[in-house]
Amino acid sequence: MIVPVNVVLALSAVLFGIGAFGFLARRNIILMLISVEVMLNAVNVSLAGFSRHLGDLRGQVLALFVIAVAAAEVGVGLGLVIALNRNKPGAAVGDLTKLKW
Amino acid sequence: MAAASVASALLAVTRRNPVHSMLWVLALFLHVAGIFLLLGAEFLAAVQVIVYAGAILMFYLFVVMLFDLPAEEVRPRFGNHWPFAAAVGLGFACLAWIARVGAGAPSAGTPVAVERVPQGNLRAIGTALFGPFVLPFEIASLILLAAIIGAVVLARRRAA
Repeated sequence: MIVPVNVVLALSAVLFGIGAFGFLARRNIILMLISVEVMLNAVNVSLAGFSRHLGDLRGQVLALFVIAVAAAEVGVGLGLVIALNRNKPGAAVGDLTKLKW
Repeated sequence: MAAASVASALLAVTRRNPVHSMLWVLALFLHVAGIFLLLGAEFLAAVQVIVYAGAILMFYLFVVMLFDLPAEEVRPRFGNHWPFAAAVGLGFACLAWIARVGAGAPSAGTPVAVERVPQGNLRAIGTALFGPFVLPFEIASLILLAAIIGAVVLARRRAA
């Protein structure tokens, strides 16, 4: 089955927009991180689409690296969330004003 | 499948209950894995299911369940600047679209060794990963190691 590359790129753009919206609009730090995951997934979709379109496997290898970086980001991000939660329960970014003067 | 993934992404960023949101993201990841399959990236689809849907999402769910959910639900889920955020999201999507149209969809010509795929996507990816990409591969492993240590240090309970 041939998937036109335009459709893949449009899907990727829409997913990235949704992720950006979620990151900026949600007030829960975990859901903001999830929105970052959605954006990374959108980029992966477009990489796989280009890889298919150009007949080049480098896109898929790059997508693998993106997945590895996403895993690292999740580990560090959620570690930060847990550390913050220990000081001040709750996951709302509006409450994190300690570094604000 | 594309429509389903867009719908689940939208639901994921708009649900009030974080756990529902997580489950919609799980649906999104599985649909994206299906799209990878359609694009002939079998290994990527497998990694997507195992790493994203299996590992990353479970991690998120654990952390969500450590928190006080009922208290979260009564809060407004969006800040009061959400129209601005929606505009930015729309702007990014339009920008990506315009960039593609402006560049003229990449020429469909030059099919460089298109169908190495029949002999197994996994073998080709492995060859690429340990051939020209061996240095980035090692750097990725270093990043993961740093992330492991960083996560342990951050989440550790302070001694006394």
